[in-house]
Formats: sequence, structure tokens, C-alpha cells
Amino acid sequence: MRSVIFCRRTIKELLRDPLNYIFCLGFPLVMLVIMTIVDRSIPKEAGMVLFHIQSLAPGIALFGLTFVMLFTCLQVSKDRAGAFLMRLYASPMQAIDFISGYTMPLMIISILQIAIAFVASIMIGRATGYVFQPVNVLLCILVLLPSALMFIAFGMFFGTLLNDKAAPGICSIIISAASMLGGVWMDVDAIGGTFGKVCRALPFYHGVNAARLALQGRYDDLGKPLLIILIYAITIYFVSAILFKWKMQSDLK
Amino acid sequence: MAQAIVIKNLRKEYGSKVAVKDISLRVEEGKIFSLLGVNGAGKTTTIRVLTGLSRPTDGEVRIFDKDLKSELQEIKKLCNLSPQETAIAPNLTVKENLEFIAEIYGFSRSKAIEKVRQIIEDFSLQEVEDNKAKTLSGGWQRRLSIAMALVTEPKLLFLDEPTLGLDVLARRELWRSIEKLKGRVTIVLTTHYMEEAESLSDSIAVMVKGEIKAQGSVEELKLQTGKDNLEDAFIAIAE
Ligand SMILES: Nc1ncnc2c1ncn2[C@@H]1O[C@H](COP(=O)(O)OP(=O)(O)O)[C@@H](O)[C@H]1O
Ligand SMILES: [Mg+2]
Repeated sequence: MRSVIFCRRTIKELLRDPLNYIFCLGFPLVMLVIMTIVDRSIPKEAGMVLFHIQSLAPGIALFGLTFVMLFTCLQVSKDRAGAFLMRLYASPMQAIDFISGYTMPLMIISILQIAIAFVASIMIGRATGYVFQPVNVLLCILVLLPSALMFIAFGMFFGTLLNDKAAPGICSIIISAASMLGGVWMDVDAIGGTFGKVCRALPFYHGVNAARLALQGRYDDLGKPLLIILIYAITIYFVSAILFKWKMQSDLK
Repeated sequence: MAQAIVIKNLRKEYGSKVAVKDISLRVEEGKIFSLLGVNGAGKTTTIRVLTGLSRPTDGEVRIFDKDLKSELQEIKKLCNLSPQETAIAPNLTVKENLEFIAEIYGFSRSKAIEKVRQIIEDFSLQEVEDNKAKTLSGGWQRRLSIAMALVTEPKLLFLDEPTLGLDVLARRELWRSIEKLKGRVTIVLTTHYMEEAESLSDSIAVMVKGEIKAQGSVEELKLQTGKDNLEDAFIAIAE
């Protein structure tokens, strides 16, 4: 119950910060439009499918989630910076109330954000002649949830460790890494060697890949990347929850 | 008379620094108890330990006959605190801040709304009730921060330098609010203002460099030192 009350508070804090709208909604939508224009200007003969809307949409959705990470991180570090935390620590709030009270609202925001990215993508699809299958869109949204959880966990992790000055820097590294190495902006499948291995060792590529396969209805290939991203998400989430709990105990030394 | 707080040989060290040096205290239920001391005396550290924000290095604390170490979660539900620094959620309105805290302490939604209405009146917060906390002036934020400690109807209330940063009028108004609670709520407040301790407290402990140097009512402290006002008594004790 306390976690639901804390969740309501966190939602209010997040929705009242205009930066959240600019980055969580505005920026991904702008990139969606820009990359569609880029896609239209690449000659057909080049055989470049990465920025076709059916491949771009899941990538943009995941790109948007990296900003949810940034805002998780900022919210947690801001909460930790002020005396307000002392008040919460002195209250009956326990670590689990904090952790679930951060996770729930940010999952809701993630789902909203993914949905909005898809509404925009479907409209772009209309204009460019690609028809989205509703079932696959829903499946894709589901398949993106482990990634959402993972980015929230990253946000909690760095928000617990860093102050709100250092947090944006670290987060922007992960935002770049996740979108580049995850294959949102480049074709990781075409990359071999050590660099390709690094991309495939990180969770982001599998999150993007699973989302694309889901959207394109390639159910047979979906299992493996989905399992990988799921394991990553759960592991990272537990690590960050344990870190939060440990940090709370050490704050109260 | 039942004891709200019983402290035996409480000690708190930060590394080699001893912030609280084996203090022993009793606070009776329903009384206003002041910890009086200059900056760095160890008042905040004592409050932090009593509210579970800091673990004692040594000693025993019982609050409402519950052990601080093993029954902290139960104790927390009965207490509330106004920290030395103003502690509010910046993007919530005054009303939302108060409702949030009331609900965190287990009030139902409807009970919280009712209680908040009353507290807003008690603290004359009507004119700012729908303003975001971060837009308020320092004095208003302070009042909100203290109101947030009272809204949960604690049996035991900790006020760490409650009037810090308040102007004379707001200070007097807060004193009146505190006096209204007399008898119903046990209050531990810290201050370095003599007149504050004098006008509010049933009992005072003078804290100097982590130690309790003297304890008693204002009259008893004056008697003990042979001085005729609290300030002179304090100086005699502290030197
Ligand atoms: N977290 C801490 N780490 C190290 N020393 C501390 C810490 N908190 C307080 N102290 C020291 O303990 C002493 C008592 O501080 P405090 O309880 O804040 O005093 P007061 O509230 O009476 O002004 C001071 O010397 C202060 O520097
Ligand atoms: Mg202090």
C-alpha cells in the first residue's frame, strides 16, 4: 500500500517536469520523422532496410526507453539528495516500498511512451505504404517490456550511486551505447569481428532484435533474443534492487 | 507517570569523533522536552538515533517501552519528525505533500484529506495550499515541513531546530501550535534559543560536546546554578 502511495507521488513528480515530455516523448518522435526522411532519400538499390518503418519503429521505441532510464536516474538521485529522504527514512517506508514505488510509475510511463511511438509509426506507415499488423504491434509492445524494466533498473542503479550532477553524463553514455550498439542506428547483423561480438554480448541488441522480430511476425526466431533480454533484465533489476537496499542501510549507519 | 523515552548510556561515534557521549535520559509521556545546546553539541545526532536515521554505537533506547533496535518498525509508526533541514517534496503542492505523508503513515485517503484540511487551518496554510512546495518562500516551506510532522498525529514528535529561519511572528505562531499539543503529544525539540526552551519546555537537558551537563525544569536549572535567568544558567553549565 505504501508503495502505491509512493508511486502516485513519483508519477506526479515526473509528469510535472517538462523535460520529461521533451525527452521521453518529443525526442524519439523527432528522430522517428528524421530517420524516415533519411530512409526516403536512400536509393532503393542500396538495399538498406534498417530505417524502413517496420524496423525503425521498434528501434525508436527502445531508444525512447533509454530516456526513461535517464529520468529514473535523475528522480532517484534527486530524491536521495534532499532532506526529504530523511523524512521518508524515518517513516514506516521500507526499501521494497521505494523500489516498487519507483518501478511501477516508470513502467507505466514506458508503456505509454512505446504506445505513442507506435501510433506515430503507424501513421508514418500509412503514408509510406506499410501496414502494421495489430497483433504484432501488441506483441512487440510486450516484448519491449523486459527492456523497459532493464532501463528502469539501470536508472535506479546509477541514481543510487551518483548524484544528480553526475547522473546525466553516465546515462548519456548508456543512451548512446544502447542505441548504437543495440542496432537502432546501425546494422549490427552486418558487423563481424570483435566489435560485432561486443554488440551481441550486450543486452541492447537482443532487446531491439526481439522487438523487430515480434513486429515483423517472425515468431520462430523470437525465442532466443527474448530469453536473453529477459535474463538480462531480471538480473540487472535484482542487482539494482539489492544495491538500493544496501545503500539505504549504509545511509542509516 | 509513563515514560515515552528511556535512554541508557547512549553513545554515537563517527570514526574517532564522539558525537554523543554516553547520555542517559527519560522523557515522560505528554511532556515537552528540550535539548538545549550550541551548534555541534550533538542534538541532531541524538534525534537521528531516536528516529532510526542513525544506529547507536552503544547504549539502550526504549520508546513507549519498545526496544529501538528490535522494534524500530513499530516505533516509527508512532513517531514523526521535522528534520533540521526543511524536508518537502518540491513538485507536490502543499496539500499533496501533507496528504502524501499522512497516507504513508497509514491514514486512509478520506481520513488523510480530513486531517490535512485541519492542519492547513492550524498552520494558516490556506493561501498556499495549491502552490507547489518549491515555489514557496523559505519560511512557508519551513512551516509546511513542520506541518508534515504533525499531520500524522504522532504520539511522539521530534522537532529539530523547528524555528530556524522563521521570522518573529511565524516563530510565535509556531510556539502557540506547539503549546496546543501539550499533554496530548510527547515532544522532543532541539534549540539553541534560550527563550524558546524557556517558554515551551517542561524539562530541559543542556547538551555540551556530546554530554548532558544538566537536566531539569527551568526553575531547577536556575536553582542548580544559582542564576536568575536561563541564559546565565546555561552559560554557567556550558563553561
Ligand atoms: N555524519 C557525520 N559524520 C561525522 N561527524 C558528524 C556527522 N554528523 C555529525 N557529526 C559531528 O558530530 C557533532 C555533533 O553534531 P550535531 O549532532 O549535528 O550537533 P548539533 O545538532 O547539536 O548542532 C559535530 O561535531 C559534528 O561535526
Ligand atoms: Mg543540529
